[in-house]
Amino acid sequence: MRKFLTVVAFMVISIGLFAGYSNFGIPQIEPAPPPTEEKIDLGSMTMEQFVALGERLFKGKGTCTLCHNSLGRAPALDVISTNAQARLDDPRYEESGGEATNIEEYLIESLVKPSAYVVAGFGKKGTNDKESPMPDASSGSISFSQTELIAVIAYLQDNGGLEITVEIPSDVQASVEGEDDGDGEDGEPREAFTEVQDIFDNFDCEACHTITEEAGDAGPNLSAIGAKRDRNYLRRALLAPNADIAEGFEEGMMPDDLGQQIYASELEILLDYLSELK
Amino acid sequence: MRIPRLLQAVLVFAGVYFGFIIVFDYLLGAVIPKSLLTMYMFFVAAGVFMVFTYDEEDTRELVAPVKALVEDPAKRGIRNIVFTLIPLMVGYFVYDQMQPGFEAPVELRTIHPAPPSTAKIYGQRVNLLSLENPYRKLEKEDPEEFAAMVNDGAAVYIKNCQYCHGDKLDGKGPYAEGLNPTPLNFQDVGTIAQLQESYLFWRIATGGPGLPKEAAPWISSMPVWQNFLSEEEIWKVILFLYDYTGHQPRSWEHE
Amino acid sequence: MVKFDKIAGRYFLKSNQKSLVSGLLIILVATVFMVNWAGLDAVRAAQSTVEAVEGATAVDGAYAPAPKLAESDYPAVAGINGRLIVWVVAQLHLWFAAFVLAVPIFVFIIEVIGMRTRDKRYDDMAYEFIKVSITAYSLTAILGGLLLFSLILFYPHLFTYLSTIFSESMLYYALLFFAESAVLYLYYYGWKWLQGGFRKWVHLTLGLMLNAIGTTLMLLANAWLTFMMSPAGVDAAGVFSGDSWAAIHNFLWNPINIHRFVANIAYGGSIVGAYAAFKFLTARNQQEKAHYDWMGYNANFIAICALLPLPFAGYYLAAEIYAYSQQMGITLMGGIFAWLFIIQAVLIGTLFLSANYYLWCGMGRSDGAKRYTKYIKYIAIVLVGSFLVWFTPHTLVLTNSELKALGGPHHSILGPLGIMPAKNTAVNIMIIFTFLSFLFYRRSNKIATVSWEKTGNIVQVALFTAGIVNILFLGTYHGYFTNTVYKVAASIPQVVTTLVVIVGSLVLDSFIYGKSRDVGPLHWGRIPERAQYALFLLAVAFTWLMGLMGYIRSGIRQHWHVVDIMRDASAQAFTPTLGYAANVVSVAALLFLAMVIFVFWIAQVSGSKTLPAGYWKE
Repeated sequence: MRKFLTVVAFMVISIGLFAGYSNFGIPQIEPAPPPTEEKIDLGSMTMEQFVALGERLFKGKGTCTLCHNSLGRAPALDVISTNAQARLDDPRYEESGGEATNIEEYLIESLVKPSAYVVAGFGKKGTNDKESPMPDASSGSISFSQTELIAVIAYLQDNGGLEITVEIPSDVQASVEGEDDGDGEDGEPREAFTEVQDIFDNFDCEACHTITEEAGDAGPNLSAIGAKRDRNYLRRALLAPNADIAEGFEEGMMPDDLGQQIYASELEILLDYLSELK
Repeated sequence: MRIPRLLQAVLVFAGVYFGFIIVFDYLLGAVIPKSLLTMYMFFVAAGVFMVFTYDEEDTRELVAPVKALVEDPAKRGIRNIVFTLIPLMVGYFVYDQMQPGFEAPVELRTIHPAPPSTAKIYGQRVNLLSLENPYRKLEKEDPEEFAAMVNDGAAVYIKNCQYCHGDKLDGKGPYAEGLNPTPLNFQDVGTIAQLQESYLFWRIATGGPGLPKEAAPWISSMPVWQNFLSEEEIWKVILFLYDYTGHQPRSWEHE
Repeated sequence: MVKFDKIAGRYFLKSNQKSLVSGLLIILVATVFMVNWAGLDAVRAAQSTVEAVEGATAVDGAYAPAPKLAESDYPAVAGINGRLIVWVVAQLHLWFAAFVLAVPIFVFIIEVIGMRTRDKRYDDMAYEFIKVSITAYSLTAILGGLLLFSLILFYPHLFTYLSTIFSESMLYYALLFFAESAVLYLYYYGWKWLQGGFRKWVHLTLGLMLNAIGTTLMLLANAWLTFMMSPAGVDAAGVFSGDSWAAIHNFLWNPINIHRFVANIAYGGSIVGAYAAFKFLTARNQQEKAHYDWMGYNANFIAICALLPLPFAGYYLAAEIYAYSQQMGITLMGGIFAWLFIIQAVLIGTLFLSANYYLWCGMGRSDGAKRYTKYIKYIAIVLVGSFLVWFTPHTLVLTNSELKALGGPHHSILGPLGIMPAKNTAVNIMIIFTFLSFLFYRRSNKIATVSWEKTGNIVQVALFTAGIVNILFLGTYHGYFTNTVYKVAASIPQVVTTLVVIVGSLVLDSFIYGKSRDVGPLHWGRIPERAQYALFLLAVAFTWLMGLMGYIRSGIRQHWHVVDIMRDASAQAFTPTLGYAANVVSVAALLFLAMVIFVFWIAQVSGSKTLPAGYWKE
């Protein structure tokens, strides 16, 4: 028994020495606590990460793979490098009201206005490929933000073997969301407007701009803007208002956070409308 | 006369102890830290114990005086003295240890903390894992241009860095004495020779305040150089640091 | 010799019940597994329905991404610190598992040696080893079950996620556990029965199967934990591709496999050594003493053999971690964990020193040892010297006056000892000199009879000298005077040099002493009791060190359950300080040792018999 106790004491002392050395013999450095979850900082994203974000949205929030999968419920998207241009060249494309002139625009259009052009054989039953079964990805249950749409495009281009033409939006505070819910702290997302006048009212455009009737003159007169500017210019003017300043106006007057608030569909409606004003 | 084994052991131990102190503190002029010496001596004691006790007979000889001291009735006097002295010494040691001192507590600092994977430098997120010195390739491609760059770096160094880090890059600039922690000595093989250029870029650009917690950013007096120097100047001064000291930046690729 | 038959006979009676109990336990554990699958499947199905309704999942049958957890996802159970429980239980399970897996490996080898040499002592020793391990087997299973329970209890989402990926391998794991038990019981209880000729072959086959199954079990469990460090087979969001093999065969799987396999053997050897040491101390007669001395020597020999390559396996693992992620590598070797390697150096140094001490003490068994003992002090000086280099930290703890005296935190002489080239050099020298100790031990009882003995010795000395000079040259020249590529690369020729010295001198020695004659019979049992404490220290240091390295292996994941994929959002996600970790490891180690003592004690109790007079009816 004495031997046994000696051995036990020896072991306890050995362990005590090890523990004592670790506690008092070496400096105790307290490791930094885990970093708090970072908001996605688009400014620091590489294109690779942006594409990965797009992939996550494509497979997660967008629920795209429900149909765009190998079962053929919807057109395959990994072959867009050959298909997209073919679609644009299809005479049916302009007939049915497609407006895109390049692949990037075509992809955006397909996401926000899926019925603008329906690939033969994939239309809703009985509509003779006039109407697409795909929902508008920028509204409804999917409600991609502008940034998210661009991320998905980046992923689609990357995945399809195309050159990535989109740029990571850096001037827009991204509203990229987690896995499940919508805009989190902002509460329920609002319904997208479909009437152009509603959009004007909602964003108070006519406070500064003259569009249909005589109104504000703090901003350029837009009543015939379609004659002067093309859609791309207008899009930039809306999303990055300080990029080009019309003569006689000051920088920084127009709010530059419109891109965060406006839905892509609304943007398109707005652009449609404005570019028609001649 | 043969020295008794116990005395031999004690002499060896003491010899090593004073050997360390004499060699380091007096001959080499670089004091041996007390904390390290304590650990050293613990294992020297273990080594001495091992050598003196692996043989049964030798061990008996070693412990014989101790045994005699405890058991021999004839040694009662000396026993009483020793048995009084030892607790007193332990008591004094404890007293001495617990005595509050004026010495500031030892600040524990990791001199080369693990860098973050990215850092915000010049308003941009930079990936430190893949960052490279844009001028390093000139060393092979255009040695003349490279030499000019190094010269530019030297000018930057003399204007900004040498006050603390010294004109020989040995950490002994005119202001070095006033600083604690003292400026790094780049000549030492344990400093820049062990680091990648991206690490230096991060350290120079973000300075003391950019250090992580374990490196005690609050006591470093290194300025945040991105506020004073341009990106090119920092890369050039890095070239100069390596060129002057003759070290190679750490890299993971074969040449 | 102990009368094994008698003891084993009684043991057998008791162990019927024991095997029943362990059997039941294993069934319980397996059931828990099964129930969990069923349960988890249900949970998963429910989850995916919910998500589908919300429109947030992919196609049917596809896997969900790794969940994003919040602190509320970790159940609070009676205010218990879940991480602490999981940590301690996992560690205990690992210790027992390492022991239980390692022992059959060398039992098998010893049994083969016994069969080849027809020396019954080996067979008896192998039998006693397996007897020691078998009681630990049921404890391994219990602790495994406990680990499973605590994981489900405290980390339900992590477990769910891992089990969706590893569902198949977990099933095989449970099934293999059955097979392992069956074969182990056959191997152990059939030992006396399967003797001689053909039956011995059958028994050896069982031993081989036991090892194959045991190793497979370990490989599977390793896959789960390396997946958490270097996830594979999943995308950036943690969506499983469905390829189980990719998830198992992740980047760090094989480095961990090798490291653990070798370390298990060393560990098993050290625990058996401690057992033999205790038996030696409490032996009642000279014969028992001799037996346990011999057993302790062999166990120590196994431990050292596995210990020598272990630093290289560890180096390989660390290099692979660097290769997998440089950031993980820097976290591992620099920053906070840098000090852990100083503790590790102290512990490994302790291992080397006590193993050497045991060898030196053991030289007293031979009457011819005096010829070599005069060299021991030089070996000791080199060993201690290398050891001091090895644990010199890069960042020195300096008082303010020392800082002033040095003129900075950098020490011009000790600083260079703090970095890798010096440490690699030191560890190689330590290995070579430990090997030298062993060589002297081997020679101590032998007298060479070949005519070229002197020449042979000179060649051997030259080999050692050249090796050491080469290691020192590589360490100093390439370590300090060339660029980093060579700094790192220098470690490989160093290792090769060490191996060449060891193998070369072993070959040479076997020629010189091939037909040697003995000085006299070896006096087994003639070893001081102090030496047995070296064996205890070996076991304790090993146990503690394994616990510590378990902490860092898991600590470099930092606040991730699965690195970069599944974040640990619990309140316990922080990385603890070294002192805290050391305390947890110490408590766990004490628990483990108490359990081991219990296991050994119960084996002894089963062999004793009380005859109460007048208690039973005549």
